[in-house]
Amino acid sequence: MDVHVGIPRAMLYHEFGNLWTSFFENLGIPVTVSKETNQQILDRGIALAIDESCLPLKIYLGHVESLLPKCTHLFIPRIVSYHPGFFLCAKFAGLPDVVRNTFNIPHDQLITPNIENKSLVTQVKSIHTICQALGISIASGYLSYHQAKNSWKSNLTSPILGPKIAVIGHSYLLNDAFFCRDILSLLSKRGITIITPEHIPSKILYQESTASQSDIYWQLSAKIDGAVRYFSHQPDIQGIIMVSSFACGPDSLLNEYVEHHILKNSSKPYIILNLDEHTGNAGIITRMEAFLDLMDWRL
Amino acid sequence: MQITFPHMGYLNIPVYNMLTNLGVNVIEAPPITKKTIELGSLYSPEGVCLPYKVNMGNFLEGIERGADTLVTVCGAGKCRQGFYNTVQKIALREKAPLQFHTINTSENLFKNLYAFLLTVAPNASRFSIVKNIALAIKTLTALDAINTAKNYYGARTKNADTIIDIYKTGMHQLAQCCTFEELRTKQREITNQMQAVAIDGLKEPIKVGLIGELYLLLEPYVNHNIEDLLIKQGVEVNKVVNTGDWAYSQIILRTLGLYNEETAYLKQARPYLNYHIGGDGLKSVGTALWYTRHHYDGIIHLYPFGCMPEIVAQYALKNISKDYNTPMLALSIDEHASDVGIITRLEAFIDCLKRKEKQ
Repeated sequence: MDVHVGIPRAMLYHEFGNLWTSFFENLGIPVTVSKETNQQILDRGIALAIDESCLPLKIYLGHVESLLPKCTHLFIPRIVSYHPGFFLCAKFAGLPDVVRNTFNIPHDQLITPNIENKSLVTQVKSIHTICQALGISIASGYLSYHQAKNSWKSNLTSPILGPKIAVIGHSYLLNDAFFCRDILSLLSKRGITIITPEHIPSKILYQESTASQSDIYWQLSAKIDGAVRYFSHQPDIQGIIMVSSFACGPDSLLNEYVEHHILKNSSKPYIILNLDEHTGNAGIITRMEAFLDLMDWRL
Repeated sequence: MQITFPHMGYLNIPVYNMLTNLGVNVIEAPPITKKTIELGSLYSPEGVCLPYKVNMGNFLEGIERGADTLVTVCGAGKCRQGFYNTVQKIALREKAPLQFHTINTSENLFKNLYAFLLTVAPNASRFSIVKNIALAIKTLTALDAINTAKNYYGARTKNADTIIDIYKTGMHQLAQCCTFEELRTKQREITNQMQAVAIDGLKEPIKVGLIGELYLLLEPYVNHNIEDLLIKQGVEVNKVVNTGDWAYSQIILRTLGLYNEETAYLKQARPYLNYHIGGDGLKSVGTALWYTRHHYDGIIHLYPFGCMPEIVAQYALKNISKDYNTPMLALSIDEHASDVGIITRLEAFIDCLKRKEKQ
């Protein structure tokens, strides 16, 4: 059977997706990225996952299942840490094991490079893991990786001008159209421009976050912390909306930290929205409307 | 300076002794009660895990009694525990001006503990610091030993209540000991007492392995006294994780480079879990496999609601239970859990185990 790689459109795909897909495309290997999250993917994810898992993990499993009939291989990297001193949460560290335990996929059908730091050795090792699973030469793998990495770096959108609202959260929530659709559509209906941490180069975000470096050891939380710090002193930001998901471990503490150390000291109005798998939108809309009214009233 | 620290099982006994021996003023937080957990929850973020809330309650009650310096352990990693301190400070500082000491567990624990003791007890000699650390570890292992003895003999007699009483007085007796020799004799004495009570020698009891998150395993109030509940029903409980073992391996062995928890448990946990997932997740899976391979009748998995590593571990545990045909009960504990809910589930689980054994 021809090799066909599947990548779930969830979790860190929203961070590294372009790099991954272009890497496989450069190798000439067909790649399928699962469809945007929909009700069916969510329902299947909820059914497959352990009840207490966080929302993004549930969605991830739904995406994995949707890929199973189409693909011969699944790309599930284990990413634990890539900046020194920072970690990702336990769910990322256990992702390949979670998938393996849920679906009983044979070992050789999972491509699970293990990334524990950013060193060259790790990069070569990861490429080796991928090439071995797909049966291709490591030299061509490394070449494709290099190409993909170079084109990935120059991939940034131009800044948006004018007054706007900052929507801050994990990229896998904000970029998932299914979850943020109510928030985003309500804002666009009111003619409000939004900006997310994705519009700001990561470098700036991490630089901002050095103020809390001794406290925060989660990579993605540091990015959110940096985004809050950055947006809270930009004059053209009218308000800040923080989006997090129910049962997100890091967020449960980070929101408290950010609220106390940054948001309360800034003059920006802010709201923290918690998403879960219940798709009724009245709760979100009511809270958003109240927030927007308050913002108008204040300006 | 008045020091207080959060409770975790009988850890308070050696820590209190160690600090007072070194001439530090200690205000012990009152034992955990319903009020502690309610108070702690009130000052904690809603979605955080239970140990955070209980620690918070301990701190607040310690402060009420006049403490002004708080000590806690923390270690950065994939789990939330390393971030506890930073956020707890926010709410606590609003109550009173406080000093915090954090003992980092992710690096050299002995060095960090030593450095901490040197700052709070500047007049103590180096020898007495090292001696008191060693004594504290010895006390902990002695407490572990009588706890294990309680679980062993308690399950083999009709007089489980008497054994539990001996254990409780034994804890106080061990707390009074101040030399290694005294500890050793007392420990033997208590174990012999238990053995004498368990003379009626019932048949081999059902054996259950207890796995899960460290804090929940070690703090009896928070885990609803699960060990005593089980032995009263004639079930032997075993837990691999004991406070003393943990302290010994972390403080002594790891410092000497003789022990690496990650590699030790990784070997056991394969093929269900192939990587370290932070917290005690790997340990839970490793010990679960150990229990199934040693033909335990059932496994109970205890963890705080929303615990990230334990949830990842659950995916593996689900399969272990199925593949080895070992019954497993998962108890996810939060601040609302009432005794009744836990007892009912435990009783039902034990009934299942007994029926399975008969067949």
